[in-house]
Parts: sequence; C-alpha cells; structure tokens
Amino acid sequence: MLKKLSHYWDVYKKFVSTSVSVETSFRTSFILLIFMDFFFFFSSIGSVSFIFDHVVNIGPWEKNQLLFFLTFMLMIDNLHMMIFSQSFWEFSFHIKTGQLDYVILKPMNTIFSVFFRHFRASSLFNTPLFLGYLIYYGIQVNLTAFDWVMLPFLIVLSLALLVVIEFILSTSMFWLTDGMGINFLRMQMQQLARWPNFIYQGLIRKVLTVVLPILLVGSGPVHFLLDKNAWQLLATMVVALVILTFVLLATWKVGLRRYDSASS
Amino acid sequence: MTTPLIKAHGLRKQFISYKKNPGIMGSFTSFFKRNPVYKDAVKGFNLEVNKGEIVGLLGPNGAGKTTLMKMFTGIIVPTEGELKILGSNPWERDKNFRKRIALVMGQKSQLWWDIPAMDSFLLLQKYYEVSNDHFKQRIDKMSSLLGVEELLHIHVRKLSLGERMKMELMASLLHNPEVIFLDEPTIGLDLVAQENIRNFIKDYHRETDCGIIITSHYMQDVNALCDRLVLIFDGEKGYDGTLEDFEDILGSDKSVSFSFKEAQNLEHPLFQGLDTTWNDERTNVDIRLPEEDLCLLSAKIISDLPVEDFATEKLPIERVMKELMNNPEILRQRRGSLKSV
Repeated sequence: MLKKLSHYWDVYKKFVSTSVSVETSFRTSFILLIFMDFFFFFSSIGSVSFIFDHVVNIGPWEKNQLLFFLTFMLMIDNLHMMIFSQSFWEFSFHIKTGQLDYVILKPMNTIFSVFFRHFRASSLFNTPLFLGYLIYYGIQVNLTAFDWVMLPFLIVLSLALLVVIEFILSTSMFWLTDGMGINFLRMQMQQLARWPNFIYQGLIRKVLTVVLPILLVGSGPVHFLLDKNAWQLLATMVVALVILTFVLLATWKVGLRRYDSASS
Repeated sequence: MTTPLIKAHGLRKQFISYKKNPGIMGSFTSFFKRNPVYKDAVKGFNLEVNKGEIVGLLGPNGAGKTTLMKMFTGIIVPTEGELKILGSNPWERDKNFRKRIALVMGQKSQLWWDIPAMDSFLLLQKYYEVSNDHFKQRIDKMSSLLGVEELLHIHVRKLSLGERMKMELMASLLHNPEVIFLDEPTIGLDLVAQENIRNFIKDYHRETDCGIIITSHYMQDVNALCDRLVLIFDGEKGYDGTLEDFEDILGSDKSVSFSFKEAQNLEHPLFQGLDTTWNDERTNVDIRLPEEDLCLLSAKIISDLPVEDFATEKLPIERVMKELMNNPEILRQRRGSLKSV
C-alpha cells in the first residue's frame, strides 16, 4: 500500500512540475489567471459585504458568520482551481478527440490519470490571500482550538465531496461525447454550493442535500464549526462521500467500457 | 509449446453512429429523431502472434486496422469474441498488462505539446516506475540511435513531424514493452525519416525479440520490417501469411520493364496480347507475364527494338496490394480454392 501511495505521489509531483512548466511558458496568460482569481475573490466578498450594509442577518447568520462561510467556500474553490479545474475541461476535449487513448494506456488508475493531471500553479499565488481571509473570519466567529484543528480536515472533506460529485457528472461525457453542457452544469453546482443551505427551501433543498448533496459541501462543515449540535450534516456528508465514491467507481468502469475513441 | 503473445478469436467491434442531413433543417430533424447506423468495423477476426514476430497489418482506409489496434491495447472493448494479449484481457486494463505493452499512433501524440520531450519522458519514467539508471541508459541509447540528442530539451511544438515521431517512439519504448503496436508510425514522413524509423525499429526488435504489430500504407515499411502479413478488408481478414506467399497471390507472374531510346509503336506485334503499362512518352513499358515466357520475350524485344535498359522482378508487393484493394474477390476466390484442396 505504501509503495503504491509512493508511486502515485511520484507521478503527481511530475504532474505538478510539467503543469508548471507548461503554464509558465505563457507568461501573460499566467499573470492574467492570477488577477482573475484575485478579482473573483474580492467581488464575492464585496457582494456579501454590500448586502450586510443593508441587513443585519441573512437567515440565522450575521455578517461575520456568512463571510466565514464564504471564505471557507472560496478556499475550496481556490484548491479546486489549482488541483482539478483544468482537468475537467481537458477530459471533455480528450474524449472528443480520442486523446484519452493514451491516458487509458498508462499503468495507473484512470480516474487519477484523468482528473489529477493538470495543476494550475497560478492559483497558488492567491492561496495565502484566501487562507488569510479564512483565518481572519475564523477569529471573528470565535473558533475554538478544536475547530482550528478540525478546519484543514473539513476543507479536505468538502473538496473531496465536491470533486466526487463533479467526477460523477463528468463520467456522463463518455455517453454524451461533448462535455460543454456538463462542464457548465458543474459550474452551476459550484455556484449553488457557494451559498449556505438555508437559502434554499423545500424540495430543492432536500434534493441538493440528499440526492445530489452539493449543499453539504460548505454548509456541512461550517454549520458544524459554528454550532456543534449540527453534527448530523457533517455525518451526512461523510456518508454521502462514501456512497458517491462507490457510485463513481461503478459508473466510471461502465463509462470506460463505453468509450469508443475517435477514429484516427 | 509457448503461449502466443496475441490470441484473438472471433473478434467483432460494432460502432453506432447516426445519419444527419445537411443544413439547419437536417440539424433540427436529427436533434429530435436519430437514425442510427450500425457498422461492424471488425468482424470474425482471428489472429495469433508469437514472441519475436513482426506482423504487418495492412488494408485500405477504414478497413478496421486502427480499431484492431485499439482493441489489442485495451482502449476499446470488443463487441464480441475472445482476446488475450500476453495472457490478459486487454480491456480489463490490468496495471501489469499496461506496463508490458506500448502503442505508437502516427496521428496522435502522447507527448506534451508545450514542454520539451524530456519533461514528458521524465513523467513516463514515473508512470512506468523505470529506475534512474535504466532511464538514463535508455534515453542515451535511443536518442543517439535516432540522432535526436540535441532535441530532447526543445519544446515539442517546435519539432518537425519526423523529429516528433522519433520522440514518440522513444516515449513508447522507455519501459521496454514486450509487445509494441505501431499504427502508421511513418505516416507523413520524408524518405530519410522513414528509413531512420524503420532502422530503429529493426534494431530494437533485434535487441529485445519483442512482438510487433505494425500498420502502414507504405510498402517499404512492410518490406523492411515484416516477416508476416495480415490483410484486412472491410473488417475481415483477407490474407495471413509470409511476404513471399503474398507476392505469389496473383500467380508466379514476373514484371519486366524496358526503356527505349525512342517512342515505340504500341501496336507492334511483340506487345499484342500482353499485360502492358506504358509511360506517356511511350519510351518505357512494364510488362506482366508468366515466368516461363520471360526469357523468350525479353530476348525478342532486345533483339528487335532499340532497348536502352531493362529490369525484371517478381510482382512488387505494392502492385499486388493495389490489385487486391481493387479486386478483393481475388482473395475470396483464393480462400475458396484453398478450402477445396
């Protein structure tokens, strides 16, 4: 097991180094991406701050609580952009052009080869900013020592749930071939998750919590950190992650068998 | 008795596409109603390849060669039939199986376009768990054989097609595969580059005794590399045998060509009733004739006409191939007559 992990880690390090090598070949694009992330971050924070200039609470949360939630989600978004984002777009391109052929041939798990392949180094430059704001708002909402210890694990858990849902959605590209619609659907899912679950009501909230548990991504951990009585959401999140991982493995296997490759 | 490297029995692959009429109306119609088109790209294909064999898989465009290669490597799953490569089902994609094979596609690249080839090689080293010593040794040897030592650190997008193809070969052979699938590895290359690649493949094969399946439209590739030919027409195997037997498919006819000092009269009695192909200037003729008539006719032409030069050979493989592609029923008849013997 350790040998296997070490093999995957070695390959991942090369994924990172080759991605950095590619990205830094195009300097202007590299810098523009850093600015894009930067503007996205401040426009998100600015919008919520503006709303709170006119209201005291949104749902049960006051300004600092909601901004803590938002910075938590922006942190997830930053990691997502860095580790996974580009691979989703490349995947649809690879299916369409048949470039996936070579990925399938590699002696590794294909989910790993497909979705961990592209690392976006430009996002790394904004990570200290995202992290700094998360810590700042964590202090504002009085996180305890236990909460601070839990925080990194909860970030990983949230990111894992988000990407597993996205992996499953992306698997449908084996059937659809064109990935544009799926990729935009994925982005809308991320958009939904950037607001706390109490924004949504009734059936939509139930569906997005139980069937396609995108609302758990941010709301599960943040509700738990702000109120330990909300542990059920966190537990649901763990259960959902386990179930969805099995769903992913099964659908991926079927999808690979369905892959036709493009003609030469 | 050794287990064959490749054993395929009754292999079939069906693809489904749909017909779409042109224009915006066609687009709307096909959006709501699809008319599926089922096509068997490969049907009832059998093949056995043993260790050390180099097999040329030939056929016209769309015959099913690449589909076969993709099934052999586990990229796509056969609709029907049995297939074992190195004792494994390729589409189960066992890690050890994938470490023992390699695929080179002349029309697709596994190298990263925006980085030097060496960076891709280093990634492949990690993928295939090749030790540092072995990696260095392989890179040094292959780059020197292919004459690309100076190009290893150049961005792939800056390389010529021939240079890139050499890098593709290096990338595929870094892990010492036991079976290599080469899908048109010399396509689009100039004659020198083609020869370099062929020589490299020959050297590699001599050194490792690996099994190689190669598809190509260039008969020079086949002549230089293959011991055995497999012909595929419309998804079905048309011929499986040695190069020598293949050349005899159209009989034991010979091909003799004469160059004349001046233009000749095509109606000359010597040429009547013969299978001839003249050039536009009527100064050169290729004649296909039975082996037993060769000496007599050649002597007559040389003595009666102003011959400048002449050469004779068995029917070139290219000519046999061309004739079979135009008349695939020759093979069906041949199979029928072999069965009846």
